[in-house]
Amino acid sequence: MNHLPQAWGRPRDDVYGPYDGSYLQNDGPNQHSQSPIVTGTSVLALKFKDGVVIAADNLASYGSLARFTDVKRLRKFAETSVVGFGGDVSDMQYLDRLLNSLDIEEAYGSTGHTLNAQNLHTYLAKVLYKRRSNFNPLWNQLLVAGLDGEGKPFLASADLLGTTFSSPSLATGFGAHLAQPLLRKVAPDEETASKLSLEQAVEAVKASMKVLFYRDARSIDKYSIAVVTKEGIDLKQDEKLENQSWAFAEQIRGYGTQVN
Amino acid sequence: MTMFSQNPLMNGPNYSFSQTPTMASGANKEHSFYPYTDNGGSTLAISGNDFMIMAGDTRSTSGYNINTRYSPKVFKIGGTTSSQDDATLVLSVVGFAADGHALKEKLDAIVKMYRYQHGKPMSVKACAQRLSTILYGKRFFPYYVTAILGGLDEDGKGAVYSYDPVGSYEREQCRAAGAAASLIMPFLDNQVNFKNQYIPGSGEGHALVERAKDPLPLVVVEALVKDAFDSAVERHIEVGDGLSMMLITKNGIEEKFLPLKKD
Amino acid sequence: MTSIGTGYDLSNSVFSPDGRNFQVEYAVKAVENGGTSIGIRCKDGVVLAVEKVISSKLLKPGANKRIATIDRHMGAVSSGLVPDGRHFTSRARDEAQNWRSTWKTPITVKDLASRMGGYLQMYTLYSSVRPFGITAIVGGWDSELESPVDGQVGSGPSIGSGGKVDSKKHGGPGLYMIEPSGIYWGYYGAATGKGRQTAKAELEKLDLAAGNLSLFDGVKEAARIIYVAHADNKDKEFELEMTWISNMDGPTKGRHEEVPKDILEEAEKLAKKHLEGEDDEEETKDDDKMEE
Repeated sequence: MNHLPQAWGRPRDDVYGPYDGSYLQNDGPNQHSQSPIVTGTSVLALKFKDGVVIAADNLASYGSLARFTDVKRLRKFAETSVVGFGGDVSDMQYLDRLLNSLDIEEAYGSTGHTLNAQNLHTYLAKVLYKRRSNFNPLWNQLLVAGLDGEGKPFLASADLLGTTFSSPSLATGFGAHLAQPLLRKVAPDEETASKLSLEQAVEAVKASMKVLFYRDARSIDKYSIAVVTKEGIDLKQDEKLENQSWAFAEQIRGYGTQVN
Repeated sequence: MTMFSQNPLMNGPNYSFSQTPTMASGANKEHSFYPYTDNGGSTLAISGNDFMIMAGDTRSTSGYNINTRYSPKVFKIGGTTSSQDDATLVLSVVGFAADGHALKEKLDAIVKMYRYQHGKPMSVKACAQRLSTILYGKRFFPYYVTAILGGLDEDGKGAVYSYDPVGSYEREQCRAAGAAASLIMPFLDNQVNFKNQYIPGSGEGHALVERAKDPLPLVVVEALVKDAFDSAVERHIEVGDGLSMMLITKNGIEEKFLPLKKD
Repeated sequence: MTSIGTGYDLSNSVFSPDGRNFQVEYAVKAVENGGTSIGIRCKDGVVLAVEKVISSKLLKPGANKRIATIDRHMGAVSSGLVPDGRHFTSRARDEAQNWRSTWKTPITVKDLASRMGGYLQMYTLYSSVRPFGITAIVGGWDSELESPVDGQVGSGPSIGSGGKVDSKKHGGPGLYMIEPSGIYWGYYGAATGKGRQTAKAELEKLDLAAGNLSLFDGVKEAARIIYVAHADNKDKEFELEMTWISNMDGPTKGRHEEVPKDILEEAEKLAKKHLEGEDDEEETKDDDKMEE
């Protein structure tokens, strides 16, 4: 999948030939959600011994414009799960309200919360699949982090087509290209992930965020990071990337004022 | 239209100025959202005299990306518990994973309901017809998957039913589906149905005698499946990571997992 | 009820010559037979409590809850016909959800009471329906903090949302009682059901208007009052069900929750002890006549 949210959900050029964008020139009513408008970039997550680390930067882009710079793209659900959103921000807000009302309805019963991250993921995937089947997709790719029914770390992805998958590490958008290889190095399989310490996992995710900031033009150095364990959620929303070194940039042709 | 009129071509924000439409506007308007994707992977089913094997790799892809190395495409169908321990049927789906998942869930629910209402498991023949009906029910917005259904028939013989995305189906000796189907199927023609195999020295031209079509034993079939996937992994980038196998005999369903190359 | 038998009590929405709607008054009668419900508005939260009369020994203790969550920050309890109470709950939840989807912010207790008052009143206007056979007590905590709207993604303006006056206090506890006629008032302490007279007398002694009672003390008082009010109805067994909503710094963080088991048991123990001390005094029987 291409990392540009605008390219998601389109026919693949290598299979169907160059994409015919001519419909975009037509006047008349524009159908909502047929293309994303304000978008968030990558979300990263990595499982470890006791839970999951998840991170996303705080930028919402309007095309190539860095439009909103304090957008929180990690959302808590019921103090047990975190959902990280990539793609359209207004669709993210819709889903957030949906989860909010789900959370309130959950509280009607006196047994307290019964939905774990796995249940939440199933629910979200069904919402997304239903919407794509009605040709009115929610233009997001999202990661759900938390614990499953047995209290084991849970991490899974769902996207605008309703496609779902799960892995010891996951990354959406540009992160699928740049961060996922780095995270897979740290946790190639479930067994390795189940031996990672919290510190190792956080470090790997933070390093990946830095790489993304270097190379993803739609990223920003302010980000949110959450750790989900059975003790609860530790969500920090105002982190800043530190210890960047741009020395390498001088070696790159076309960078800054260098021309030849 | 006025809202984003800065760019007359795209009516909205773009990532790059060069990212303008690649084709001239025609009279027909294309719906802009494409609801399918291909998640790669391959499946394979072979039936024997008193068994059948269903197998599929566990890689899930998006273009050149690997989504995950473990996303099984072979499922037990119609068991009465969440572990599906008492299931008698298996289904494999390959193509668009979200549709595959939805199809599996739907068939599983129907076969479960049949079992509760009739007090016995559904026969593979009945399930095969039902699956065809489900697929054809979405003839004009198909489940973009190639499904294979497996089980033991009324006589205890291995049964493989293969489908196209809109419900056309056929009982076969064996079938490969998915990304590497074109690589595996000819191999199966030769090794399972003994195509182009003749008894050595039996003559020339029309006098050649074909090798007898004797059913293969389970151990041989299992080895064929492994070889088929090891070969497919070498030649197809969307196949790899792991092999999930289900062996159905009169004793039930045995699950096996084998690693495949992860490159 | 001297006008009984004159025919003006047979249909809803029909006034008697002296300006009464008898169907509503009969609904109030239904309420007066129900288990006592009370609500206390404390300085840092609200307590709701109900005397759940046990109608059969075959019922599971602790099951069949009578206090419902309307929204995160709000609960409701009612006396009278239980199914009517359930419908009240259902409607109140819908109102709270609709409010959220329209305004992207939680409904205040006052607004919910207003919506529900309007709803109940409609059931006094038509001959095709009957009034609600319940009096409901709605309690909640309107957040005193700068609360994000649903789905808000940023931090919002640094000066906070508009429409606020510096000197004025925002948010706080809310307690309202809604009667079958649709009338509703805000209360410091509210009581309804069979033991309401006793309960009201006890509530008045607490000087709630002064705003000094803490939530934890409120819980103890609520338990005690339910026990005292039950003393008039001793032959029937009952269960005490109690929920609370604290402020954002308090034990429930602005949410409507059941009072935790240990605190509930402690409060019940104190209530029983209080009753034993009072045992010598002869209680006056409350006769069930209309209040007017």
